[in-house]
Amino acid sequence: MKIIKDAMAGTLESSDVLVKVSPSDGPLEVVVKSEVERQFGEQIRRVVADTLARLTINEGVVIVEDKGALDCTIRARLQAAVLRGGAVEGLDWSILQ
Amino acid sequence: MCAELIFYSVVPSEEPGERAEIETFLLRNGLSYDEGIEIFVVGREGRKLVACGGLEQNIVKCVATDPLYRGEHLSLTIVDKVIHLAYERGHSHLFLYTRPNNIAFFAGCGFYPIVEVPGLVTLLENSPIGIRRYCDGLSKSRQPGARIGAAVLNANPFTRGHRYLIEKAAESCDWLHVFVVAEDASLFPYCDRFQLMKSGIEGIARVTLHPGSQYMISRATFSCYFFKEKNVAGDCFTAVDLLVFRQWIAPALGITHRFVGTEPFCRTTGKYNEDMKYWLQADLSAAKPVTVVEIPRIESHDRAISASEVRRLLGTNDFDRIAELVPQTTYDLLSSKYRMKAVGSHTSATA
Amino acid sequence: MTSTKLRRSMLFLPGSNPAMLSTAFVYRPDSIMFDLEDAVSLREKDTARLLVFHALQLPVYRDIETVVRINPLSTSFGPLDLEAAVRGGADVIRLPKTDTAEDVEQLEAAVVRIEQQCGREVGSTKLMAAIESASGVVNAVAIAQASKRLIGIALAGFDYVIDMQTSRGDGTELFYARCAVLHAARVAKIDAFDVVFSDLNDEEGFLKEVELIRRLGFNGKSLINPRQIELLHNAYAPTQKEVDYARRVVAAATKAEEDGLGVVSLNGKMVDAPVVAHAQRVLRIAAASGVRK
Repeated sequence: MKIIKDAMAGTLESSDVLVKVSPSDGPLEVVVKSEVERQFGEQIRRVVADTLARLTINEGVVIVEDKGALDCTIRARLQAAVLRGGAVEGLDWSILQ
Repeated sequence: MCAELIFYSVVPSEEPGERAEIETFLLRNGLSYDEGIEIFVVGREGRKLVACGGLEQNIVKCVATDPLYRGEHLSLTIVDKVIHLAYERGHSHLFLYTRPNNIAFFAGCGFYPIVEVPGLVTLLENSPIGIRRYCDGLSKSRQPGARIGAAVLNANPFTRGHRYLIEKAAESCDWLHVFVVAEDASLFPYCDRFQLMKSGIEGIARVTLHPGSQYMISRATFSCYFFKEKNVAGDCFTAVDLLVFRQWIAPALGITHRFVGTEPFCRTTGKYNEDMKYWLQADLSAAKPVTVVEIPRIESHDRAISASEVRRLLGTNDFDRIAELVPQTTYDLLSSKYRMKAVGSHTSATA
Repeated sequence: MTSTKLRRSMLFLPGSNPAMLSTAFVYRPDSIMFDLEDAVSLREKDTARLLVFHALQLPVYRDIETVVRINPLSTSFGPLDLEAAVRGGADVIRLPKTDTAEDVEQLEAAVVRIEQQCGREVGSTKLMAAIESASGVVNAVAIAQASKRLIGIALAGFDYVIDMQTSRGDGTELFYARCAVLHAARVAKIDAFDVVFSDLNDEEGFLKEVELIRRLGFNGKSLINPRQIELLHNAYAPTQKEVDYARRVVAAATKAEEDGLGVVSLNGKMVDAPVVAHAQRVLRIAAASGVRK
């Protein structure tokens, strides 16, 4: 899947995460900012990387502003942002699991 | 139990009652109303206004919360609502000015500092990597040499004066980087201005023409947000734009000199040139100074050639005179596309 | 067959709120309903759908019944909501604005297709229908019997009173609808759920309404605030006297079975099978939330 326009999903509320995606020609750049960076930074990055890999996102810019969201919320917000900003024809639910 | 908090958007020009209430609310919070704001998000608890935040295109302005409710949560929520409103309106790259002591709060909202005018104001953008990525892109155009020049032109429209400035600047440098102001606030749209510039500088050696960006002479960097605030007036107006140039753009391209034309007519541009000498050259930043070089304008019939003069002549359909001031490519475009349309001369901040 | 699952409290959660989605299990309602319909604004339909899809798969929801209220299938959101809910593993799909039995049949057909596509056991997704209009109330009997997957039908008051050209009041306005929905549910041997009570500050009014619907025979009620759960469970809890009697009935029934007798008797009187079933139900509720305080 490819990001073709700027898009956002999520909020800045506690337990949520705000995800912004935008297109770019270069390789994928992911920036994660988290309020719980010290305890969970590694894990958040793993979840983000895994979710993007399943969506086959290899280029673009992805910014994740985490407010202490659960993994499942991070996945949901990332997928929502990518689906909003991506060129999608027919949703393959299996990649969202 | 307290009443429910509700949030909704207000177009101030259509809702005078709401507007007046926002104005009072802002004043109570030590902020003045900004006329440029197109839309607000307001938060109310019952009837009581407790939070607001505005948007002028992609610039977040006038964010305030009732001191009795202040605290991370309501402030975060109102910023969140404004960000969502901006995206809905097609603005994803957002800017915001605030006092430097608010930086930590806005970092929690996903806004990161670009430059700070020490102690006065900080320009933030809603990306931790926005300007860094922009500068990474620019640095691909880096050229070797000890003397690297830059010029930022609105070229509204491109004149023989612009060509002369670029020729002179290029002659005195190892390489010259030229930027076209991207903000579409001028009589001639950006695409036309860029195209005329591109054809107008053909044949000049050692020049790279760059598209403009949000990071130079844009609504974001050249904001008049704090203009109305008494003491800091004039300084902040140009300082942010010039500091972005000095701290980010110049290092990315290795720029050592910035070229401007002397400005005999326009006061805003004249002041910008003066401020440039201070903010680019003075010992006030960790970033290396950039030397400002003013190039006297060439004249035609004893008058300095200026774009504003061309726009004036366009208003009177004086194409014979225009032909003396602009290169053929500009003349062709003016006579084909703007001959009938022109109804008056628009002013703009830069020549 | 009437299910043995208790469904007194069905807690509504806006599908767009991650904080609530991930913490609601702590309130221990009998069922949790993730709402993709009225609680979610048009522009967050897509994001809420994904949040709910993932929240359904959280381990904390394994031992609590999950219900997803989808948007009507006639909207562009409904079919996608259904995909997310069935694939996410929702126990029950709640269909809003059910006017006819065909609405339920159409839903079931869509569920079957999704179950087959995603490898979920066909038939494992249960359904419930919310009745929100005069036609829904009039068709309640047919609706309640429209699918074997139905675990219950619910009356939703907000749209219904508008359709009836009245407004919420002391309950008079819902009198016929409550009776009709309840009877339809009992004919179909499925559960019946009452409307949401939306004034969170009026505890007295809430308890009064709960008492009314409990006495009418509703299995439970939709709730929008976790604070209402305990109040509701307590109101539904049997009294000590009822528990004592139920114990004796069940003991007598057990003994009759052990003795190989076809007739249960207590204190010399014959006890019918429905009485035994009721006594078992009383004990189940008491086991879940004690005796009434």
